[in-house]
Amino acid sequence: MTQDVEMKEQQPAPSNSVTSTSPSTFQHLKDIAALIETGAYTREARRIVKAIRWTIQLRKKLNASLLSSFLNFALVPGSEVHSRLSLYIPKEDEHDMEVDIATSATQAPTKHSVPELEIYCYLLILIFLIDEKRYNEAKACSSASIARVKNLNRRTTDVLASRLYFYYSLSYELTGDLAEIRGTLLALHRTATLRHDELGQETLLNLLLRNYLHYNLYDQAEKLRSKAPRFEAHSNQQFCRYLFYLGKIRTIQLEYTDAKESLLQAARKAPVSALGFRILCNKWAVIVRLLLGEIPERTVFMQKGMEKALRPYFELTNAVRIGDLELFKTVAEKFSSTFSSDRTNNLIVRLRHNVIRTGLRNISISYSRISLADIAKKLRLDSANPVADAESIVSKAIRDGAIDATLDHANGWMISKETGDIYSTNEPQIAFNSRIAFCLNMHNEAVRALRFPPNSHKEKESAEKRRERQQQEQELAKHIAEEDDDEF
Amino acid sequence: MDPKIREVSQIFERFKAAFVRKDFDTCNNLLSQLKVMLTAFKSLPPLFEETPNAVHELTLARDIYEHAVVLSVKIEDQDAFERDFFQLKPYYTDARGRIPPSPQEYPILGLNLLRLLVQNRIAEFHTELELLSPSALENPCIKHAVELEQSFMEGAYNRVLSARQTVPHETYVYFMDLLAKTVRDEIAGCSEKAYDSLSVNDAQKMLLFSSEKELHEYIKEEHPEWEIKNGFVFFQRAKESIPQKEIPSLQLINQTLSYARELERIV
Repeated sequence: MTQDVEMKEQQPAPSNSVTSTSPSTFQHLKDIAALIETGAYTREARRIVKAIRWTIQLRKKLNASLLSSFLNFALVPGSEVHSRLSLYIPKEDEHDMEVDIATSATQAPTKHSVPELEIYCYLLILIFLIDEKRYNEAKACSSASIARVKNLNRRTTDVLASRLYFYYSLSYELTGDLAEIRGTLLALHRTATLRHDELGQETLLNLLLRNYLHYNLYDQAEKLRSKAPRFEAHSNQQFCRYLFYLGKIRTIQLEYTDAKESLLQAARKAPVSALGFRILCNKWAVIVRLLLGEIPERTVFMQKGMEKALRPYFELTNAVRIGDLELFKTVAEKFSSTFSSDRTNNLIVRLRHNVIRTGLRNISISYSRISLADIAKKLRLDSANPVADAESIVSKAIRDGAIDATLDHANGWMISKETGDIYSTNEPQIAFNSRIAFCLNMHNEAVRALRFPPNSHKEKESAEKRRERQQQEQELAKHIAEEDDDEF
Repeated sequence: MDPKIREVSQIFERFKAAFVRKDFDTCNNLLSQLKVMLTAFKSLPPLFEETPNAVHELTLARDIYEHAVVLSVKIEDQDAFERDFFQLKPYYTDARGRIPPSPQEYPILGLNLLRLLVQNRIAEFHTELELLSPSALENPCIKHAVELEQSFMEGAYNRVLSARQTVPHETYVYFMDLLAKTVRDEIAGCSEKAYDSLSVNDAQKMLLFSSEKELHEYIKEEHPEWEIKNGFVFFQRAKESIPQKEIPSLQLINQTLSYARELERIV
């Protein structure tokens, strides 16, 4: 279950931050701080998103001295936040970075107390603590940060806050205390909804679903999910997670068709680097497809980096495909530890019935008439009264449409019906229609997903025009000012 | 001892006495009283306040609700069962760390699984199943319900019926009887599709009737479209799909128009 936690932001293509190799990591952090500040002043959340993306790139390079010098740079030394955060940083090897500390002291005499920067410092320290595996301190730090974020009502902090929520939940999950924070998360979700903080809602809803599913509380999860407001997804990562959780809930509640759709979409949309998440999606998708009576293609199991993890599921598929109950039982026993750690054991128990169905289908295709006793033997039904069992199993399969046959009770045999020419029905047309609908839908969604950077159309206007416009604006401003004066 | 607890315990004792006497009306009255009194305890769900008597109160309340669930089975009231079970559930899940586990826990959980099966609420059945630990699944009461569900899904109805003899707990019998009715309807539905005709004798055996008269009554009530002739039951085969000769023109026109519209949007 913990694999998908680490679904990081996709590394952006080498941008200016990477090409400039000379500046130190500290310089990067300062750049980020500047970016956040401009973002805060201009109220552009886009800049802050960029800042976080850069931070993730720096994640591996963070160390204690670097962080303490950054804290000195970003926060007022001696202030409450500064002293609180400094507590989390171990005091060692301070000499290494002396140069940087010295420069920062001279460079930044003007102290800025933008709340965004403060939140960012919390985030940085939190990531650092989690990477250092100091989970209890991470818990304390994240709780403090959440308390601080609650009191801020600024749209520009939303992006930072949503990351904080994520690490908050992660730190509690790592220590196994997820149940504790459920109340807080629910309260935060409510606040985010009232403030129209959609990214926060998205993140918190996912964290809550994760929280519930961690304890197998599918009922509560589904109730929350169906009542929570839905809107266009803001973050691809969050949307993938949402789809995955949705797929899981639906699988448990036997809505296999919908579950398959969500799980496959989650696997497809997830970034390539999130391998663990994609493996998990694929595992569930394989089971759901088997439960639906489909046999997943071999290529599903041959995806890069997944062969080993999907091996148990491959053998399971094989057993279902052949319709051999004995083989199915052996596979289920052989990999039972894997299945129980994936928490798919109960689903695999459900599969037994599909194995029988496939076996029966094979029999009905190969024989035009077969006695029930032979069916029982072929299916290896080991019960007190195999013939009666076989009869009722076959009759249920006929009713569910799995096989096309009739039973003759007096003679005790099953007669398969000739399969008619499918092209004389409307079936092909229906299948064709559903494919066309899928393609058209795909196109429409692609069009909708296109993103246009804000103000891009304005940059095209010529210098002359811009001057003209600015002049007009100035005049307008003057007018307004004059009008204001008049009023006094 | 706290006076409130003492009062509740006393009424509960009277309830248990009436329960043994099988005086279910008195039980019901006492139970409503008890439920109202339990609301005064602050240590119970959903408040879970850490009062000095918390453990005692929780255990007592759990005991009361367990009896309430069993009572609802005895008076064969499924709605009351559902209500009482949901009130009891937090004691098994959220209060797990606070009070020692109850010996009644698995029988009651198994009973609930059985109820969901009888009411054909399979999705909820599986949702409840996910909440149980692997060791709980090994418990005979739970295992019974899980195996029933499997046989039911497979269509091995004989196994479902024979399971009645092996019930792990006497309260299960009520639901097993209900299940037998559900199974009969299932078998009737399946036979209708699977057979062209059945001799009256076989049909009677298959649908678990003890006399031919019962079969006739059942057919008259549930499946009036079945025909009884010459000692055979004929199932109407109207559901057979004849290859369609007609072209669904209206549907096709609609689809083609929608393609045209979509294509126009693309070009």
